[in-house]
Amino acid sequence: MRELPEKENVLSKRLNKLLETRVENDHDTLEALKELSTFYCDNSLQARRNLRSQIEKRSLQINENFLSEFREVKESFDSIYNDIADMSKSLEDMTLRLQNAKRQTKHLLEQTSSYENEIAKNEMQQKVATAFLNKFILTHEELVALHGNKQKRDLVITPEIFVVLDKVQRIHNDCKTLMQSGYQTLALDVMEQMTLHQEGALERLYHWTQNHCRNVENLTDLLTQAMCRLQDRPVLFKYVIDEYCISRRAVLVGEFIDALTRGGPSGNPAPIEMRAHDPHVYVTDILVWLNKAIPIENQNLHLLVSLCNKEDKYELLTNAMASICEGICHPLKIRIDKILNASTQSSSLYAITNLIRYYKKSIGKVSEGGLLALTLSELQEKSEQIFLIALQQQVSNCLVRVETPPRDLSPTPAINHLLSVMRDMLSTASMSEGRETDMGKIVQCVLDPLLRAVNEQSSRLPPTDMAVYMLNCMYAMQTCLSLYEFMDDKLERLQAQSDAQLDTLTSEQASSLVANLNLGPIYTILQDHAHAPLSGIPGMEPGNLRNFLSKLDMLVSLPDSMLLQQIHLLSSSKHKKSVQKRAFDVLLAIYKQLYEGVYDANNLYENPASILPRTPSELMKMLS
Amino acid sequence: MSAGPYNYSYIFKYIIIGDMGVGKSCLLHQFTEKKFMSDCPHTIGVEFGTRIIEVAGQKIKLQIWDTAGQERFRAVTRSYYRGAAGALMVYDITRRSTYNHLSSWLTDTRNLTNPSTVIFLIGNKCDLEGQRDVTYEEAKQFADENGLMFVEASAKTGQNVEEAFLETARKIYQSIQDGRLDLNAAESGVQHKPSQPGRNTLSNDQQFNKDNCAC
Repeated sequence: MRELPEKENVLSKRLNKLLETRVENDHDTLEALKELSTFYCDNSLQARRNLRSQIEKRSLQINENFLSEFREVKESFDSIYNDIADMSKSLEDMTLRLQNAKRQTKHLLEQTSSYENEIAKNEMQQKVATAFLNKFILTHEELVALHGNKQKRDLVITPEIFVVLDKVQRIHNDCKTLMQSGYQTLALDVMEQMTLHQEGALERLYHWTQNHCRNVENLTDLLTQAMCRLQDRPVLFKYVIDEYCISRRAVLVGEFIDALTRGGPSGNPAPIEMRAHDPHVYVTDILVWLNKAIPIENQNLHLLVSLCNKEDKYELLTNAMASICEGICHPLKIRIDKILNASTQSSSLYAITNLIRYYKKSIGKVSEGGLLALTLSELQEKSEQIFLIALQQQVSNCLVRVETPPRDLSPTPAINHLLSVMRDMLSTASMSEGRETDMGKIVQCVLDPLLRAVNEQSSRLPPTDMAVYMLNCMYAMQTCLSLYEFMDDKLERLQAQSDAQLDTLTSEQASSLVANLNLGPIYTILQDHAHAPLSGIPGMEPGNLRNFLSKLDMLVSLPDSMLLQQIHLLSSSKHKKSVQKRAFDVLLAIYKQLYEGVYDANNLYENPASILPRTPSELMKMLS
Repeated sequence: MSAGPYNYSYIFKYIIIGDMGVGKSCLLHQFTEKKFMSDCPHTIGVEFGTRIIEVAGQKIKLQIWDTAGQERFRAVTRSYYRGAAGALMVYDITRRSTYNHLSSWLTDTRNLTNPSTVIFLIGNKCDLEGQRDVTYEEAKQFADENGLMFVEASAKTGQNVEEAFLETARKIYQSIQDGRLDLNAAESGVQHKPSQPGRNTLSNDQQFNKDNCAC
């Protein structure tokens, strides 16, 4: 029984629920009802019975409607579908084609961009090439400047050539950089080309320079620049210099000869040879002319190579100067030789020697070495020789006759003359260069023959006269020589010779004194006596001694009275005094011996003070 | 008198004497220049040469008078004997006459020089052995008898030339050392120092004596 309640419960619940349902709240129902109201118009049984079928009929009709309608839709959908399918197909086609096109375009693009790159590269290359050309290749104008115009070969050189040459050199140098960067072939090619250009241009420059250097008036800036360029080609450079030297040599000789024979314009200054009669003036003029002309040549030469900076430039200039001066050597030598051979005056020969020496040195400062220096040396040597020969000749001519010395025993005129000649020459020599050898030679040339002549002359005289004459001559020579330096040897000799003669003269004078005073026997006795008292010896008696003393008194009162007359003829008062003093010394020595003898008690003199009142020292005072 | 640029302690005066043509000038030239003078002219009067030598460590200047052998210059050359410390007496070994005259040369020398003068006999031209006319022995004997030093020399080859001059100087120097030579006498031919002032005075006894003899 229990189930029942439950069944009852579910029913009730459902009922309740139905009951509780509120139609107005149910939309669907409402809708359905509304619909129903549209066709269910009359509430009849029939109607009620048929409702169902009606609804079903209606539903069927609706569905049929729906179906037909939907068929239409479906058909249209089908057509749409077809359309879309078509579209899709054509789209696919299009896509495909698009993709193809796209693929094709990409290739094209790539090609384009690669072309673009190439263009950029080419442009770059072109720039490089242009730059290269600018830098490494010469332009037409430059080539013309360098090589001249082919049509007009003799185109003048313009300053541009030097600019281009610089460029060529620069290119040549740049090629080294080029080479280091790996373009060996190119660099070598360019280098070779540049070398060719350079050679060609220099060759042209060389011809031009050679042609233009002949005229010193043409020593333009261009020429000096050309020389500067050419110095890198020693051979060409040398040829140009040689050419220059040859032309200048000829000009110099021409000018020299003109100066000698024709003189200046309209004979002013007069031709040098007009004055050939005066050797000194003639030689001076010639040498002065040379000394003026050669420095000008030197200046021009220096100007020509002023821009050159070769290391051997100095040597080159020296040689060139020597070469330029070569031409004048011959005419110079001939003329001076002639003068030297013709002129016999030794003094003028000496002057010429000194002139040659001086100008040789002066010219030597400008033009060293070479034929000119050699010629001048030869001339100098020759003139020295000829001078000495002439001097010797002059001396021997003067002394050829052995003169008898004059009565006053002074040097003979010939000796005086030669001494004055020597003095004049020494005065000149003492101011010249190499004076020591010069003076030595001159003195030797004159003095030795003089001494010989004096000896020769003296050998004919009595001893006293001989000594005096020789002393006088030697004194004259000493006086002359002592004025100059380097004469020590000669003076020593003269002094020694004078000393010997002074000795002779002294002994002559002493002997004469002794004889005049009657002292001879007394002296002999004094020397010889040994034992016997002096007073006992004959000749030594007080009376005899007084005789001597009276003569001695005379001498004391007049010391000069007993001098040999020749002593007074001595020209040197020193010699005279010396002879006198030394002779008196001898006398005093004997007097002293006598005095000691007389005062010696052993000799038995009575009252010695009355016999010899004077002591030796007193006598010495009186005589001095 | 000039001293020259050299330092020397003594000046010795020499004289070279002998007949004409015995080679006096050549000996001097050989000694001073160390060269032989082949064609030597006759000496006129006297010639003069100097050379500085060394003896016993002392520098000595030789003043050498080369005299003319010709008789006509005898008066001139006599002046130079006085005051000679050394006399080189020369003869020619190929000419006996020059040897025979030696005694007269010796007499002259003895008379005109002082006793201490060293006399050296030189027989010159000893290179000409083939033409010898005077033997060494007899000359040596002559030298010994007269107390001379002697050597045979050749001015041409220079043989013994140096020796003769130097030996003479050594002998003179020895005399000075022994005190036999009075330096203060001018005629000694020796001066102690060059250019010594006041050296020209003489101590004259001896000289006067000799003058008397010579006159």
